[in-house]
Amino acid sequence: MDQQQAPRFFIHGPSPFVRLIVFSMLSLALMASDSKFSYLTPVRDALTVALQPLQVVANSPFVLYKNIGDHFTTQQALRNELDVLKKQAIFQSIQVQAMQSLKGENDQLRTLMQASKVSSQQSRLAEIMHTGRDPFSHKVIVNIGAENHVLAGQAVVDGAGVIGQVTRVFPYSSEVTLLTDKTLSIPIQVERNALRAISFGHGRDNVVNLPYLPANVDIQKGDKLVTSGIDGIYPAGLAVAMVDSVKTNVSSPFAQIIAKPMAGIQNHRQVLILSSDTENLVAKDIQQVLSADAQKQSDLKQKSEKGNDAKP
Amino acid sequence: MPNLNRKRVYLSLVAALLLQLLPFSGILLQIKPDFLLLVLLFWLLRAPNICNIGVAWTAGILMDLVTGDLFGQNALAYAITAFLAVMYQRRLILFTVLQQSVYVLLLLFVNQVILLVLKSFSGSEYFGWTYFVPSLTGIMLWYAVLHSRISFHIMARQQ
Repeated sequence: MDQQQAPRFFIHGPSPFVRLIVFSMLSLALMASDSKFSYLTPVRDALTVALQPLQVVANSPFVLYKNIGDHFTTQQALRNELDVLKKQAIFQSIQVQAMQSLKGENDQLRTLMQASKVSSQQSRLAEIMHTGRDPFSHKVIVNIGAENHVLAGQAVVDGAGVIGQVTRVFPYSSEVTLLTDKTLSIPIQVERNALRAISFGHGRDNVVNLPYLPANVDIQKGDKLVTSGIDGIYPAGLAVAMVDSVKTNVSSPFAQIIAKPMAGIQNHRQVLILSSDTENLVAKDIQQVLSADAQKQSDLKQKSEKGNDAKP
Repeated sequence: MPNLNRKRVYLSLVAALLLQLLPFSGILLQIKPDFLLLVLLFWLLRAPNICNIGVAWTAGILMDLVTGDLFGQNALAYAITAFLAVMYQRRLILFTVLQQSVYVLLLLFVNQVILLVLKSFSGSEYFGWTYFVPSLTGIMLWYAVLHSRISFHIMARQQ
């Protein structure tokens, strides 16, 4: 059996029980301060940066494997990909032309309506480094962070639709919570009938659900859900999910609606992080509407006062 | 040579942390054993003068940092598990490999249950039965390593 050193007859330092109590108290205090107050955020960030080299070392075999795989891609595969991309480019160029005329028309209409122009949103390309360490939370880590002006709360999308939201930012990386995570909710709109609702992550099966909608709600299987844009985080009109099943239960007043995300949340490596300029735009819009209302009301008041003055 | 021992223990712990950091995904992520806890338990049972509850707690803090969990969550779980290991350390060291493995399995389960309780307090989602799979793969790894006597090579140079 294992050779054991001579047992220590004299206990050095505090007993295990005392140590347990001390360290338990310490971690309880840490947990309380981390969940309720944000005193520890700078400490945490600094320690995370200190651990960055370890992360790089741990990721290196996979990066190396990927690079080697990239190096030995066959010519045939590249040619096939090129064909697909060329076709896509042709189709999309037609769409872009249509878009531009629509955009011009839209801008003109907006100026007519005296609403602010919706500027094109800035976005930043990021690459997914690895999935989160916890298999039960739907999070991924991407390779740009505070150094690249990423902010917590920004929306993350790919070519097919919304992926999620930046939830935590480190200096050189940031954590993106996927829309299937139970803690993430997105205000959506049914494309067919403009019905507004909120989608919540399901947490387990890579789907989202729409709770708290009445059993007779007008949502069918195959309906496309897009962002409604009223939150000021996600720009309006991004694809979110496709309704997969609508069930009603006699015992529950709510319908059980399950939808599958449109974006390839499991298989994409490149994602776009949208900078939340919309927040300012929405705020501006609201302010403009409010000031216009106030102007109208004061005008009305003045008129009625004048009228009152004139009467007697 | 207490200095060398110390170095060996800490190096193996860092290696375990690196294993823990490997970017697994999918099914591998779900069955990935807690390498760091296994190495911690190994040294807690064999070198309790070097690897004590404080070391386990520090390792837990590092785990919290790399996983992005609530600060102190893994640390508390590791500290309690380490305490349970240290409490019966004198007896455990006399057990056979199989008997020891049963107790270590129990410790791995205890660690996961503590984490489960803490996570559900902080409003986490419902976990399926697959949550406990890492304990089972962990104990398989433990038994394989001890049975194949790799650990003896690690221990041999220590004396």
